[in-house]
Amino acid sequence: MGVISAIGNSVAENHVSLTQQKCGIGKLEQFPSKYAATLPFGEVKISNELLKEKLRAYDADVTRTTLLALHACKEAIDDAHLDPEILSLYDTALIGATTVGGMCLTDELYHDANKDEGGSEYLLSYDCASVNIYLQKYFSINGVINTINTACSSSANSIMYGARLIKQGLAKRAIVGGVDSLAKFTINGFNALHILSDEICTPFDQNRKGLNLGEGAAFLVLEKEEDCATKKIYAELTGYCNSNDAFHPSSLSDNGDGPYLAMKGALDIAKLSPSDISFINAHGTGTENNDLTESQAMIRLFDTPPAFASTKSNIGHTLGAAGAIEAVYSILGIANGEVYPNLHFKEPIEGKNLVPVLSYTKTAIQHVMSNSFGFGGNCSSLIFSKS
Amino acid sequence: MEKEALKLQLKKQIVEFLNLMAVKPEDIKDDEPLFGEGLGLDSIDSIELIVLLNREYGIDIKDPKEGRKVLVDVNTMVDYIEKHRTK
Amino acid sequence: MFYIHQITCISPQQTFSDIDLNILNDVADNKLKVIEPSYEGIPLNILRRMGKAVRIGVGSALPLIKQKPDGIIIGTANGGMEDCIKFLNQIIDYNEGMLAPGNFVQSTTNAVAAQIGLMSRNTGYNITHVHRALAFENAMLDAAMMLHENPSANYLLGGLDEISAYNYNIDYLSGAYKKEKISNKDLFTIDSPGSIAGEGSAMFLVNKFSKNAIAEIEALQTLHTDDIDVVKNQLQLFIEKNNASGKPDLLLSGENGDNRLTDYYTEIENEVAKNISVARFKQMSGEYPTASAYAVWLACMILKDQNIPAHAVKKIGETKKYERIFIYNNYKGTQHSFILVSK
Repeated sequence: MGVISAIGNSVAENHVSLTQQKCGIGKLEQFPSKYAATLPFGEVKISNELLKEKLRAYDADVTRTTLLALHACKEAIDDAHLDPEILSLYDTALIGATTVGGMCLTDELYHDANKDEGGSEYLLSYDCASVNIYLQKYFSINGVINTINTACSSSANSIMYGARLIKQGLAKRAIVGGVDSLAKFTINGFNALHILSDEICTPFDQNRKGLNLGEGAAFLVLEKEEDCATKKIYAELTGYCNSNDAFHPSSLSDNGDGPYLAMKGALDIAKLSPSDISFINAHGTGTENNDLTESQAMIRLFDTPPAFASTKSNIGHTLGAAGAIEAVYSILGIANGEVYPNLHFKEPIEGKNLVPVLSYTKTAIQHVMSNSFGFGGNCSSLIFSKS
Repeated sequence: MEKEALKLQLKKQIVEFLNLMAVKPEDIKDDEPLFGEGLGLDSIDSIELIVLLNREYGIDIKDPKEGRKVLVDVNTMVDYIEKHRTK
Repeated sequence: MFYIHQITCISPQQTFSDIDLNILNDVADNKLKVIEPSYEGIPLNILRRMGKAVRIGVGSALPLIKQKPDGIIIGTANGGMEDCIKFLNQIIDYNEGMLAPGNFVQSTTNAVAAQIGLMSRNTGYNITHVHRALAFENAMLDAAMMLHENPSANYLLGGLDEISAYNYNIDYLSGAYKKEKISNKDLFTIDSPGSIAGEGSAMFLVNKFSKNAIAEIEALQTLHTDDIDVVKNQLQLFIEKNNASGKPDLLLSGENGDNRLTDYYTEIENEVAKNISVARFKQMSGEYPTASAYAVWLACMILKDQNIPAHAVKKIGETKKYERIFIYNNYKGTQHSFILVSK
C-alpha cells in the first residue's frame, strides 16, 4: 500500500496521524486562489519541486496530480516488492482514477484552450488519462492500463475493476488506486454549488456546513491469495458493488437508493449479512445532503448501524483519491485492530440520531465496509476483511 | 426603470441564462412559481439565478434561506431587485 | 467475449436516422462535426442543460435504453469538454467570483453515463472509463467482465467524444491536426503530419446470447508502446491465440492521414492483410480518442449489409464475403488496440 495525504506522506505517517487524531485541514499554500485565505483545505504540504526531486520525475509536462500519484504508487510497489521484471509482465495491470487529472493547471489550461499559437509544455497533460499514462511509462507496466472517473467514487471503482480483472484471469496482479490534487477548477466548482464549508468540516453533525476539499493519492497492490503465500497480506477484498442513485446530477435521493444498493450489493458479493460488518468507513463529506442520505441508507440497511466514522474530518474530501485513501485507512484499521474517530462532531443529525465513533479505540475488526458516493449518482461500496 | 419593463427584462434574462429552450419570456406569468410545478426549475437553477442577480443587478445573496424567499416568482424577484440593486 | 444486438451512432455522417454510408459529408476547417438529430425523446427541461457530448451520448443511447439494460458502461476521454472550459473561462473571467455551477456539473466526464442512468432510472452498474484512446476498449473489457459475472444480463456499452473549440486548440497546438486545410476525401493522399478532428457517439446493446445478434466481439487487446516491433509481436500472438475459428477477411484500419503513423499501419497491413480486403473509416469519423467505437459500429454495419462504402475501400481482397473483421487503431503512436468482430 502507498498513500500521501494532508496527514502524512507515507502509510506509516498516515497511520500515526490517524491514531493521534490529527487533522491536516488548514491553509492553502501551494498555489494562489482567491479562496486560499477564506476556506480551509486538506493540502499535502510538499511543493511540486520537492516531489520532482524526490521522485526523479523531471519531465517538463508532469503535473502535481501525476506527482502525488507517482509518490503513492511507488510506495505501494516497493511495499509489495514488485520488481521491474514483474511490473513489465503482460499480466500486471495498472488501474487509476482521477477527476481533475491535469486540470490542476487551471490557468495554463485556460491559456492553451483559448489561443491558436505557441502553447505550454502541458498540452498532453490535461486529461485524466495523462496521470496513469505517465505511471505506465515510469514503471514500464504492460498489462491492462485504465483510468476511471465516476466523480467522488472513482477510486473505489478502480479497486473493484482491478479485483475483477484478477478474478477473471485477465491479470495476475493489479496496482489500483486514485489521485486528485487541489485545483482552482474544483475549488470554484464546489464553491459555486455552495457545498464548501468555511470552517473545518464536521461530518454527521447536525450543524455541518459543507465539505473541505483535500488532495492526495493512494495505491494498493492486489493479488490472489494463492499467489502471495510468502508475502505480507494486509487484508482481503471480499465485497464490492457499484450502483446508481438515478436521482439528480449533483445530489442524492432522500431515501438513499444508490448508497443502499451499493452497500447491499457489496454484502451480497461478500456473502455477509449486515450484522457481520464491524465498522463502516463512511463517505461522510460533511454536506447537508450526503450525510443525511448516507445516514438514511445505513439505517435502512442495518436498522441499528455498526460503529462508523468519516476520515474526511482528518484530510478533507480528496475526490477521486478518496476511495483508495480510505481503503488504505480501512485496511490499517483491520491490520492493527483499531478504529479511528470522526473528528469535530458535536450533535447528531435530527431525526437520524446516529453518533459516529468519537475516540480512538483498540478493538478486533473483522469486516470493514468503505463507502464512496459521487456526483451523477455514482455510488460504490467495498468490503475489506481480516484474512 | 418601469416595473413592467423590468419584469420583461428579467424574464428575458432568466430564459437566456438558464437556456429555457421551450419558453418565451412573455409567456412566463408574473406569479408563476419558478420551482416545482410552474417553470420546473431545480436546485442548480436556484444557484444560477442568484448568480444572475449578482451579475446583472449587483445583488449579493449569501444566505440560501434569503434566496428561497426571493426566488419565488418574477414578482418577488422584481420587488427584491428594486430594493437592493446596486447597478 | 459478447454479442452485439442493437447499435446506434451519431456521427458526422448519415449514421443515425436514414442511414446511408455511401454519402461522405465534407469536413469544414479540418473539423468533422456530428449531425445532431432533433432529440425528440429528451425533455426540453433536461436538454437545455446538456452540452454537445452529453446530448450525443444521451441521444444515441435513448433508442437502446428502451430495452432496460442492467447497467451502463461508457468510454470517453474528455466527456463534456466544452462545459469544462466554459466553467474554466468563468473562473478566470470573473476572477474566481460568483460562478454559475451548471457548466461544472455537466463538465464531469461521468455526466453522460450519469444522465443516461438518470433518464432511464437505471440504478444498476454505472461507470465511465476515461483512459484516453483506450477508454472505449476498457469499457468493452468491462462489459465482457460484467457479462461473465452476470451471464443473463444486458448492458449498454458506448464510446463518445466531442470536438470543442478548446480541445481542438489544445490538440492543434500539440501537432495532432494538419496545419493546412484539407478535404476528408484527400485524407489518405496528402503526405503531411497531423489528422483532422472528429467526434461522435456509438452505442451498443450487448449480452451473452448469440441468437439474432448483429455481431460478436471475439477478442480485444490493448497496448501502450511506441515500438513498432512490440506491436507486431503482440499482433502475431493475438492472431495465433484467435485464429482457431478462422482468419479475418477484412482489416478495418484506423489510418488517419498522419504521415508519422504510416509505418505502424503499413506493418500491420503487411502482417494481417496480405490477401484480404482493407477498409478505412477516419475520413468518415475524423480522429478522436474514442473513434474505435465508431469503427466497431461500422464493422457491425459491414457484417450486416455485406457492403463496404466505396470511399472506405483501400483494397479488395480475394473474397467479398465479410465474416470476421480485424480492427487496428493507433492513437498518436502510443496507444494501440486490436479488436476482432465477427458475424
